Amino acid sequence: MKINYKLQDQFDLAVFIPVLLLIGFGLLAIYSSTLNLPNARADFYKQIVFAVISLVIFLVAYSLPHQTIKMTVIPVYGISLFFLLAVLAFGKTVYGAKSWLSIGGFGFQPSELAKLGTILMLAYWLTYKNRDINNLIDLTIALGIGFVPIFLIMLEPDMGTAIVFGLITLVMVFWSGLSLFGIFVVLSPLVVIFVSLFGTIALIIALLVIIAALLFFKRDLFNSVTVFVINLASGFFFDYIFRILKPHQQKRIESFLDPMADPLGAGYNAMQAKVAIGSGGMFGKGFLEGNQTQLRFIPKQWTDFIYSVIGEEFGFIGSVTVVILFTIIFIRMLNIASLAKDKFSALVVVGILTLLFSHFALNIGMDLGITPVIGLPLPFLSYGGSSLMINMLLVGLALNIYRNRKLHT
Amino acid sequence: MNDNAFGSPARKRILSIIIIGFVALIVAQLFNMQIINSPTYAERSDDNSVKPIYQTAPRGILFDRNGEVLVGNKPSFTLRITPSDYKDSLSPYIENILGVDSGYVRRILKANENYSKYIPRRIAKDVSFNVMAWYEENASKLPGVDYVMETQRDYSFGVAGAHMFGYAREIPMSILQKRKDEYSLGDEIGLAGLEKTYEDILRGKKGIHYVLVDSRQKTIGKYKSGEEDFSAIKGYDLILTIDKAAQKAAEEAFKDRRGALVAIEPSTGEILAFISSPQYNLEDFSKVTTLANYNALRNNPDKPMLNRATMGYYSPGSTYKMITAIAALEEGIIDEETKIGCSGGFQFGDRFFKCLHVHGATDVGTSIEKSCNTFYYSLVNKLGLDRWSIYSKKFGFGKNSNVDLAEEKDGIVPSSEYYNKRYGKRGWTKGFVISLGIGQGELSVTPLQLAQYTALFANFGKSAKPHFLKSYSDSKTKVRTEVKPSYFDIGISRRSFEIVRHGMWRVVNGAGTAGNIRNPELDISGKTGTAQNPHGDNHAVFVGFAPYDNPKIAIAVIVENAGYGSASAAPIARDVIAAYMRKTIPNQQNNEVAQVH
Repeated sequence: MKINYKLQDQFDLAVFIPVLLLIGFGLLAIYSSTLNLPNARADFYKQIVFAVISLVIFLVAYSLPHQTIKMTVIPVYGISLFFLLAVLAFGKTVYGAKSWLSIGGFGFQPSELAKLGTILMLAYWLTYKNRDINNLIDLTIALGIGFVPIFLIMLEPDMGTAIVFGLITLVMVFWSGLSLFGIFVVLSPLVVIFVSLFGTIALIIALLVIIAALLFFKRDLFNSVTVFVINLASGFFFDYIFRILKPHQQKRIESFLDPMADPLGAGYNAMQAKVAIGSGGMFGKGFLEGNQTQLRFIPKQWTDFIYSVIGEEFGFIGSVTVVILFTIIFIRMLNIASLAKDKFSALVVVGILTLLFSHFALNIGMDLGITPVIGLPLPFLSYGGSSLMINMLLVGLALNIYRNRKLHT
Repeated sequence: MNDNAFGSPARKRILSIIIIGFVALIVAQLFNMQIINSPTYAERSDDNSVKPIYQTAPRGILFDRNGEVLVGNKPSFTLRITPSDYKDSLSPYIENILGVDSGYVRRILKANENYSKYIPRRIAKDVSFNVMAWYEENASKLPGVDYVMETQRDYSFGVAGAHMFGYAREIPMSILQKRKDEYSLGDEIGLAGLEKTYEDILRGKKGIHYVLVDSRQKTIGKYKSGEEDFSAIKGYDLILTIDKAAQKAAEEAFKDRRGALVAIEPSTGEILAFISSPQYNLEDFSKVTTLANYNALRNNPDKPMLNRATMGYYSPGSTYKMITAIAALEEGIIDEETKIGCSGGFQFGDRFFKCLHVHGATDVGTSIEKSCNTFYYSLVNKLGLDRWSIYSKKFGFGKNSNVDLAEEKDGIVPSSEYYNKRYGKRGWTKGFVISLGIGQGELSVTPLQLAQYTALFANFGKSAKPHFLKSYSDSKTKVRTEVKPSYFDIGISRRSFEIVRHGMWRVVNGAGTAGNIRNPELDISGKTGTAQNPHGDNHAVFVGFAPYDNPKIAIAVIVENAGYGSASAAPIARDVIAAYMRKTIPNQQNNEVAQVH
């Protein structure tokens, strides 16, 4: 066989190799954390099967003719919304959230498919002909495209995934050229919501800061008042959201604010994850030697807390290696976005990048105690078929876009 | 950010900064946690830990057909060592108090050293009160040592039944490696007998509860307030087909004898009594068995580990004559009236095959009653090897009965194919066939096959696969599931059976070879036999059923090195039949001297 020295030209190894290494790391950690757990042992073997299937999916996504991607946008988004509605009606409740749909014996999470659908739809809408993102109507519709799945996912309720969708929408709108004021309009309600968690005084201070900012932007009275009302409303709206949250999710938000308040409750897992990672030290306790992991401190560790297995058993070296591999993928993807043939492709890559990054940041951040305890899988590492397959599909799309980039002839 | 262009370099730079910034934050926090503050976390990791406490599930209880306990459970203390916390220097103290040789603890730990060191290993089961008292006194000086209350098999219900019940033991590494998904280190698994066959329903489900312990292994609370805990679920109880009274009678009779006995209910194939003797003590297997113990059993010349009832190869002797008779009747070679002259033997070519007596003109009924060899030499000669072989197989010989015990052999029924293979096409003569007619020669049967064969006579060719399990019941819901017997009919005319059965009745109730066990209340029919044994004295064989008109029990008895069937085997059969029918035998009849034939 002739060696294809132009491989890198067609296929971005700088993304693909780190992805493979991360999947490998994930399998090691899943093996370790399910060892001697008869009921979960099969998960390791299942994950191997998922990995193989997801590689096939990756190759299919990578080899699709570039034009076909655009053609799938509306159907995929439509099907995504359909499944999100279906899961609310017929879904299976796992860990307090109705997020699983069972089709012919296989369970899958519609919110995973919705990631693809939303990214494609947003990219499609934002780059359609003479779109002006700083036009209020265009912006509102763009936000609406993101908000519909967010709303449906919040009803499951799956806070973590809803936040990820929010971030995807935000970053894609940002990439499209949203002005500073526009960003302020979109972001300020979120800031108000977050601050309102800390009590009424904090909320009042936040609203005062908003007024100051509005004065700084020197917009007309109507615009300024509208933005202020939106902010005020979101503060109260969140109070309502907080009340519709499941008790275990309320507890999680509370325990993020004060992890020691309930050491055996929701904050417990996060604390044990920190202990596991911290006790790993420089070189870790060695594969299969982590006592936190092997003693099953952290329930279902091979899903959302997989990073704590790596932290404990492979130490600082292993933990940083995983972070570096992710960073390489992110930076490469950002470059692919600039290289892309058209705006649509660029936005798709930005959406994929945001999705992977927010999972990465929120998952590892949770393990390290710098973000709240939100159940989100770590891409490529956590156990789970739907997540791995969709992530590989997205990586396949990103590399497809790389293959068809503008400089490439 | 004044340029509001799509994907402008400024916007790319902002995203890069966010990515790099967050990554830097993560790395800084990792450095903080894993390098600077690592000792603090390490201490906390060591300090508090969750300990899973496993609760072994009691195995299901074995009941007899009338609901009497055969094998039960009893509570016992098990001493354990968890290698992660244990110090080898403690071994001499433990070995001393347990009264085992030095190196015992090390051997056990070594045997499964590849396994997670956080899982406790059983060091001794059913430990005595002294050991417990000693442990309680010194617990603080014995890190990594603890005990659990477990249930253990209780064999104090008056029956031994070693070969039928079998045993469950701690899972050996070789099996564990293959069945990692279902078992973990230290689990019990049925390794022989019914404990093995019905392992899946007997074993139940292990319980686990998690506790938080501090660095001194003191429990400080329930882990996650017990939401991940579940209690052990006892295995299903088995209701066996065994009749305890019959089983006890059989075991009593075989106390000082070697051999085997199987009794079957003819219409259902239900095994009523089952013994292989000598037995071994199941009690020895429910503890952590020492190698010495096991080797002693292995090397015992009486082979107590061998299940003679399903694995022992015996020559059936004259008890096999009925097959030759049935075959000849079915093939039209003889009828009820046909007489063959016996002048004390049968001349075949230049060989003379002997009969024990001169019986004169003998019909088929008398030939069974008096056990005339000449009659059968002549019949099998006319039948030929292969026709004889087909009838043998119809009655279940040459093929295991597929009883619900894993350990069972096929036996040997020769055919011309078999002889050709073994001796070559010209290596054997028709003379080989003649002795087969009286159940001698190269014919091997198991006692279980003999019992099934007898059941088929009792019930005119209809029976069901022999089996031990009548039903099983969920210990929790008490829902009882009946096991349906697999019925079959070997397709032989009722008339032929009637002729042969009547001959069998005369064996006991006429002037036959087993007159010594005649008892009008039991109304036994049967056939005696003497099995040639190239290694020593002949084995005594008896097969029989009772009562004649509506048989409730069919039985096969083999007593090794006991000579004639009537002398020792037949009285045992009678005693077991009597026990099953809840009849007592008058004493003098019991001691009646056997009529030697």
